[in-house]
Amino acid sequence: MKEFLDVLERRQDVLWPTIWEHLQISIVALVIATLISLPLGLILTRNQRIAEPIIGLTAILQTIPSLAVLAFLIPFFGIGQTPAIIALTAYGLLPILRNTYTGIKEVDPALKEAATGMGMSSFRRLSRVELPLAMPVIMAGIRTSMVLIVGTTTIAALIGAGGLGDIILLGLDRGGDLNLILLGAIPAALLAIILDLILRMFERTSAKSGFRSLVSLLVIAALIAVGPLAFGGGTKSDIKIGAKLGAEPSILINMYKLMIEEETDLSVELVPNLGKTDVVFSALQEGSIDIYPEFTGTALVSLLNQEAESTDEREVYQSAAEGLAREYSLAYLEPMQYNNTYAIATTQEFADQYDLETIADLKPIEDQVTAGFTLEFNDREDGYQGIKQLYNLEFGEVRTMDAGLREGAIEKGEVDIIDAYSTDSYVEGLNLKVLEDNENLFPPYQGAPLLRQETLDKYPELEEILNQLGGKITGDQMREMNYKVEEEDVDPEEVAREFLEAEGLL
Amino acid sequence: MIEFKNVTKTYPDGTTALRGVTFSVEEGELLTVVGPSGCGKTTTMKMINRLIKPTEGSIFIHNKNIKEFNIHELRWNIGYVLQQIALFPHMTIEENIAIVPELKKWKKKDISSRIDELMNMVGLEPETYRKRKPDELSGGQQQRIGVIRALAADPDIILMDEPFSALDPISREKLQQDIRELQRKIKKTIVFVTHDMDEALALGDRVCLMKEGEIVQVDTPQNMVLEPKNEFVKEFIGNRKSPWQSAVDVIADRSGSRVITEEEFERRKFDSYGAYIMEDATGNYVSGVKQAEKVDLPVLENDLPLKKAADIFEQHGEELLPVVKGQQLIGTLSYREIVLHLKQHVSTENGVIRS
Repeated sequence: MKEFLDVLERRQDVLWPTIWEHLQISIVALVIATLISLPLGLILTRNQRIAEPIIGLTAILQTIPSLAVLAFLIPFFGIGQTPAIIALTAYGLLPILRNTYTGIKEVDPALKEAATGMGMSSFRRLSRVELPLAMPVIMAGIRTSMVLIVGTTTIAALIGAGGLGDIILLGLDRGGDLNLILLGAIPAALLAIILDLILRMFERTSAKSGFRSLVSLLVIAALIAVGPLAFGGGTKSDIKIGAKLGAEPSILINMYKLMIEEETDLSVELVPNLGKTDVVFSALQEGSIDIYPEFTGTALVSLLNQEAESTDEREVYQSAAEGLAREYSLAYLEPMQYNNTYAIATTQEFADQYDLETIADLKPIEDQVTAGFTLEFNDREDGYQGIKQLYNLEFGEVRTMDAGLREGAIEKGEVDIIDAYSTDSYVEGLNLKVLEDNENLFPPYQGAPLLRQETLDKYPELEEILNQLGGKITGDQMREMNYKVEEEDVDPEEVAREFLEAEGLL
Repeated sequence: MIEFKNVTKTYPDGTTALRGVTFSVEEGELLTVVGPSGCGKTTTMKMINRLIKPTEGSIFIHNKNIKEFNIHELRWNIGYVLQQIALFPHMTIEENIAIVPELKKWKKKDISSRIDELMNMVGLEPETYRKRKPDELSGGQQQRIGVIRALAADPDIILMDEPFSALDPISREKLQQDIRELQRKIKKTIVFVTHDMDEALALGDRVCLMKEGEIVQVDTPQNMVLEPKNEFVKEFIGNRKSPWQSAVDVIADRSGSRVITEEEFERRKFDSYGAYIMEDATGNYVSGVKQAEKVDLPVLENDLPLKKAADIFEQHGEELLPVVKGQQLIGTLSYREIVLHLKQHVSTENGVIRS
């Protein structure tokens, strides 16, 4: 509890803007979903033949995993709040649409007939009789939708939309830091509860005044939505630098920003914690961001779908840079020194028990091994798929999990081996044994800035500035910086500044 | 006033609800439409306010085809009372009554005084009930509001679709009485659908009996009972016919035990303290005999309903009256026969006497 309060105190200044951002995104999505679904639902009650197919369509939207919707939208809308709001709106449609349609349809047919027989027009019947009577059901739909949206908005942080998801993701990345996760999750839950209470109050008044209270509710919501976007928007920057989720990318982009702003008048905006490789790469292609740090091995294997023919650092960088320029017109600048390659790590005890030195040593006990891999590693040719082929290994059980959760899993003994990054700070902290990649499966993973060629053409000075980091930062330095951010909760910007000053780059 | 000309209704699935229906409703008349379920009586009624469109044939109101009216204006001038009562539960009583006047853009003040007037008419204190919600009223009170809601904008025609069938017997009887009084006072043209023959006979100026989408007989209640067109009518009226509707010749004593001839009168061959009816040699009625004296008596025509006969007994203070067909004496009627007849025709249900 005390720890939680400490975390709360330390992050208080970011908490309020984050909650407000979360509220704004949720409400904008809810208002748009209501503005689409409610009239659509009403129209459908007048054209019942097309009703079921259209409601079915929104149900399909609902079944697509939220992350997939977000990823799908990046090529069209980039990253940030726009695609997030579109995805959340799509999520909110079904409950409102279905409840509107059902609510109106279930109004006692005798009452409808009475209204018609008394000479009410279709619109008057709707506004005076059907809508007021269906209001409780419609409001229930809006409330369901609201809870869904407020909950799902946490995921939108993965595409740079901000909100409380930022804090939760950070917690997950820091090895499942419970206090951080709670700091994001509790306000999200409170938001949902408070909004639900407000909607319930409106529901009660709507029983009396029907249409009017709904309209006033929408007006209030719209005011909140367009109200001070103070924390989100702001001035337009010249260069946007994105990064995957994690401490290391966050530190690197802060270095880029500091160096660029030191030597030019360009304004730089950072978009950290953009989920996994596919999200941040789509964002770069689409142009939502101009630069992000990418590993040479990932560029070659994942982005270009090539096999690493060599494990030589230079060769891998060269072929990645050529391929990226050719296929995507991207510029890949000089890599840094450290090699954050994949590693298979296990506990010292497990290694001693089975006398493990290399990955190949796992062969005799492959059936008993429980592996904890990230989804990405599990699926990569230079990951588990490659291990299966090259080492002819098939582990007894593979549990896939978020990167941040692996250290906890191996610490508790839930898994025997994990995939680790060589710069991960906990490899030393937990005294893990890294098994040697004796067949050279893992290509080198050196971090290097990946830019849109357009951006580089516009600001050619960037090449020289960013290349100053080329060949710098050793594995130990990187690990130390990661440790500061992850374990000591130091601001990545501060860590970046310290390093650059020590290296004389600022 | 309302005229159906050869109206047929066929649904897309091929079922025929109405087959060549032709009839008319006179101005100020209460026509009850009755028949077994599925006979098309409700369909017929809903065609008048265009809730259902005829497949063939036409319907006229004041000699104008109803298709030529603006549909909303047509409905504003036709009050509509539903079986389910169908007061809008989210509106107060006054809001419910005000609906059609508001649609017709009446002034607020006029609407308000109209509401008071109507509520007083059906015995619901406006002060007490105006602001209440429908569910705070009993079923009978609710349907009373249903009726005045239909009357609110002073329509020429009122359609009632089995309006009392959802009510308990006591409220039902009370409302039937109210409707009869109302009709006498306001003289609207009313089409009243019911499946209950007693109700149809009791309320209707005329009764329209339907079967399988066709009209079997449209007639006054008396004629319906006395001259049923066919077996179906007879059967449908059947036991449900009120004993008070029976014609006196059905009840009359034909044994001749209270009849003396002129010859017997001359020869004093009868109990001089009794009351008798005297006939001549050809069987024609001559006069009454009381305490051995001739008296003039009113005669009961053979098709006179019992109810009317009872009135005559009451007015004249007589105990025995002749029943004649033309001049011919066909029987006698006394309180004794009336009581026996009523007793025979009253059925009891769960120990409760049904009329």
